Amino acid sequence: MDYLYFPGCTLYTKAKNFDQTARNCSRLLGFELKEMKNWTCCGAAFPLATDNLMALLPPSRILATAREEGTVLTTLCAVCFNVIKRTNRLIQEDGEKRDKINNFIEKNYQGDLQVLHYLEILKKEIGFYQLKEKVRKPLEGLKAAAYYGCMLLRPFEEMRFDDKENPKLFEEFLEALGTQAVEFPYKIECCGSFQSVGSPDVATECAYKILGSAIKNGAEAMVSTCPMCTFNIDHKQADIKQKYLDFKPIPVFYFTQLLGMAMGLDPQALGFDQNAVDPMPLLKEKGFL
Amino acid sequence: METVTGKGKVSVSFLEEVMRKSGENLNLCYQCLKCTVGCPTAPYMDIRPNNIIRMIQMGMKKEVLGSSAIWFCVYCQTCGTRCPNEIHIGVLMDALREMAIEEGVPAKEKNIHLFHEAFIQSVRRGGRAHEVTMLMEYMLRSKDMMKGSLIPGMKLFLKGKFPLLPSFIKERGEIKRIFEKCQTKIKE
Repeated sequence: MDYLYFPGCTLYTKAKNFDQTARNCSRLLGFELKEMKNWTCCGAAFPLATDNLMALLPPSRILATAREEGTVLTTLCAVCFNVIKRTNRLIQEDGEKRDKINNFIEKNYQGDLQVLHYLEILKKEIGFYQLKEKVRKPLEGLKAAAYYGCMLLRPFEEMRFDDKENPKLFEEFLEALGTQAVEFPYKIECCGSFQSVGSPDVATECAYKILGSAIKNGAEAMVSTCPMCTFNIDHKQADIKQKYLDFKPIPVFYFTQLLGMAMGLDPQALGFDQNAVDPMPLLKEKGFL
Repeated sequence: METVTGKGKVSVSFLEEVMRKSGENLNLCYQCLKCTVGCPTAPYMDIRPNNIIRMIQMGMKKEVLGSSAIWFCVYCQTCGTRCPNEIHIGVLMDALREMAIEEGVPAKEKNIHLFHEAFIQSVRRGGRAHEVTMLMEYMLRSKDMMKGSLIPGMKLFLKGKFPLLPSFIKERGEIKRIFEKCQTKIKE
């Protein structure tokens, strides 16, 4: 089965390696990510105050356009996933808002699209047990910390991704790849998000707490599902090192990079050159290259 | 922990206004502080989330809308997930930001507001956000050339992560129409 795919702006720019590896992994797993036509920015934030209609329009337009092409829409970026899934739910449940939105975007969308994250496809449609059997090069001996961040999980009532305080799905995925998933208390903490632009010090502090907690619990690498989190916990490590002299940087992977490596993709095609902290020494030390 | 004391002018209808706009029942708050304890940006706020609620109850409109707290919230929703009374403070903060803009209260963290504006501009231009033009616009508006954004930006650029030209979508006319419709609605 092929899945309609919404990449999102960042996966065309800053997270090209995330996009590419996901597409390549899909082919090995027996499905294709079919990019939807004419997608725009998702708006990057679900509107919260009750009468804010404007921010609902970009995700609604995406959903309506995608519905013309298929019935299941998948995303990789956790922020886009959050915005699109919640908007879809709102359109399903609130008839008045639905009519208003349709009037604005000049479409007739009824909310009958299923929005799934790539990890959910791996779990529900393929199954982690089956995934384990498809792994050609198990990443044995790698201690990886699954970092969820906020957007996959919260708000719990709407996302229903996994447990709100102690999710396990991401760890199960990493264990299917052969790694040893590290438990750490900051796995669902916020990375500081867009504060990295306006108040960089705030984001640096948030990232330091998360990384520090993972390292303390034995992590050799972090794994992320979100380009925003990845910017804060990967690219900010240079700033952290300047502030905390005893801090030792650890590589941060997109989960698809590890998936690709375990599936036996050529390491050259996994975009490791775009990671801020060079993962090559660790991968060589573990004998994966 | 700072205590809240009411001095100066208070707005009697503020609590009601905020509850209507956010849809959250702020009367339920019994100050358990779970929100503030879990908040990743609370250490940097001038007023902590639990106190924001208390001050709204007390009608301290000027202080709340003029606080840095409403601009430091990144809507990670940890507070709302943990609140025993199911008050979504992230939603509340968003409503307060909107009220501050509507009332013309200058943002205490002006750069965060400018960043939001630069982001919308970027989407308005081509339908998709484009970091290079967005950050350039942000830096020009905020005059924040050296404080952090430029150097990581350059590093990403050198890694080949930023294409120099934005990728525009085909149906830009449609995006333009949606933006125009929204603006007429706001003016009404």
